[in-house]
Amino acid sequence: MDILQNTIASFVSLVPVTLAQSLILAFVVLGIMIPFRMLSFPDLTSEGAFPLGGCVCGVLMAAGMSPLAAIAIALVAGFVAGCCTAFIHLRFRIHTLLAGILMMTMLYSINLRIMGRSNLSVFGATTVFDWAPGLQPGFPASKIVVAGLIALVVFFVLYHFFRTEKGTAVRAVGANPDMAEAQGINVWLATIGGVGLAGAFSAGSGALMVQSQGFADVNMGLGILINGLAALMIGEAIVGKQSVLRQLAAPFVGAIVYYQLVSFCLAAGMPPPDLKLATGLFVLAMLALPSLKRSRGPAPARETVRE
Amino acid sequence: MLEIRSARKVFYKGQADEKVALDGLKLSLATGEFGVVIGSNGAGKSSMLNAISGALVLDSGQVVINGDDVTAMPVHKRAMRLARVFQDPMRGTAASMTVAENMLLAELRSNKRTLRRGLNTTRLATYKERLSLLGLGLENRLDTRVELLSGGQRQSLSLIMAVGGEPELLLLDEHTAALDPRTADIVMQATIRAVEALKLTTLMVTHNMQHAVDFGHKVIMLDAGRVRLEIDGKEKAQTTVPELIGHFSVKTDRMFLAS
Repeated sequence: MDILQNTIASFVSLVPVTLAQSLILAFVVLGIMIPFRMLSFPDLTSEGAFPLGGCVCGVLMAAGMSPLAAIAIALVAGFVAGCCTAFIHLRFRIHTLLAGILMMTMLYSINLRIMGRSNLSVFGATTVFDWAPGLQPGFPASKIVVAGLIALVVFFVLYHFFRTEKGTAVRAVGANPDMAEAQGINVWLATIGGVGLAGAFSAGSGALMVQSQGFADVNMGLGILINGLAALMIGEAIVGKQSVLRQLAAPFVGAIVYYQLVSFCLAAGMPPPDLKLATGLFVLAMLALPSLKRSRGPAPARETVRE
Repeated sequence: MLEIRSARKVFYKGQADEKVALDGLKLSLATGEFGVVIGSNGAGKSSMLNAISGALVLDSGQVVINGDDVTAMPVHKRAMRLARVFQDPMRGTAASMTVAENMLLAELRSNKRTLRRGLNTTRLATYKERLSLLGLGLENRLDTRVELLSGGQRQSLSLIMAVGGEPELLLLDEHTAALDPRTADIVMQATIRAVEALKLTTLMVTHNMQHAVDFGHKVIMLDAGRVRLEIDGKEKAQTTVPELIGHFSVKTDRMFLAS
């Protein structure tokens, strides 16, 4: 009983920190979900865009720029990275996954170039989390409030956007690119814009992470993709993906639940090196589930993914 | 008005399996005219429709719609002027989106898309009314995802979507071929009603000779990438199915001789 009590005690004490972290990382999950679900464009750019955002933000903060401006420039950098991936796919007809791998590999060098070294401390610099009203800076509560507010705003803006005329057109590109084109929708523009937006969210997440942890590191993106995918799968399992509302809520709900789950596993004594294996197995299971079900029931409508 | 001027397209140019899809094809269709295109497989019917819609880039020649040369325009720009119904019901609709959302996409085909709310109450009411004309009960399923509809329902929806914006040109690509006879009949009747009511300039590809005889102002027979035969006016009114099939067999013999 002692072990259980210890586990629960250490898990509970970590809940606020984990929550703050998960709200920040929810934006990467969003950056994975938008291309994957809204555009049928499985994209790996986030593995490079997340540290890109972090590195850009870190360098600018170290140079004395305001934290908000640093985040804004990180967003632009991520947007450009996403656009490049989409362009590589569309122009050279390279598979989306390969285009993403190319981009994230190239981004590693670019990130090193931007920082000039492999890590950079920005500890002590003013961050957006210091502006939380009525809260002591530096504590999880201020991070939860600031990241939570940003998440709420992003969620409502996106929810509104995807129901506008333009947003519906973007979703049509993911649902059936041929049909979208025949309905007068510029598939290139929608794809480049959509994947760019996703890159911006990933980079924004990296920038917030750097401000939260007080340093930037070129390796901070390692494994972020598979974590994000796992979070997305959990989110979709909980809230579903039948409507725009549910699909948009999934990344946030998923990120919050997933990182608490990870924290619980670690509190229960799981060795950290095994974490990636466990996450990978989990994602595999979630992706394999539909095909396992299909072998028994009637075949569901095919989900099309771009070649 | 539609005009195709000496359209030429060669696939696999310079290779052993070179194929001339369109061989100086000339065709014109007056405003409000309904042309029915027939021809055996590989005659160039699909290539012609793709050339008109922009999915196929011509080697030479022009496509002119209502006096404007659209040859250099990409598919999504031409979509402002023309609408197309495909043979495969899956191609003309977005499966994972709802009936209403598909209608919205079609309505916006020739308009600028804004950042205003897409599906408002006015639009939903219009869609309900337009879908009720089909008599398939689609008007009560506006929030249903299209993937849950039957092939016939999806094709009917494609048709309503295509004729909705009163396009300058309507392309029908064997749009009843994949349907069962009864549904095919419903879709065909709906097509004729819409085309006549809106006086749409229409080009319909079909393998159904009865349709070719019954509908349209003229029959155009394609063979080896060019127009082999055009029957219109009085002559068209008197054509029978056996006569049309006769034209096929002549060609088939020639094909045998050539091969």
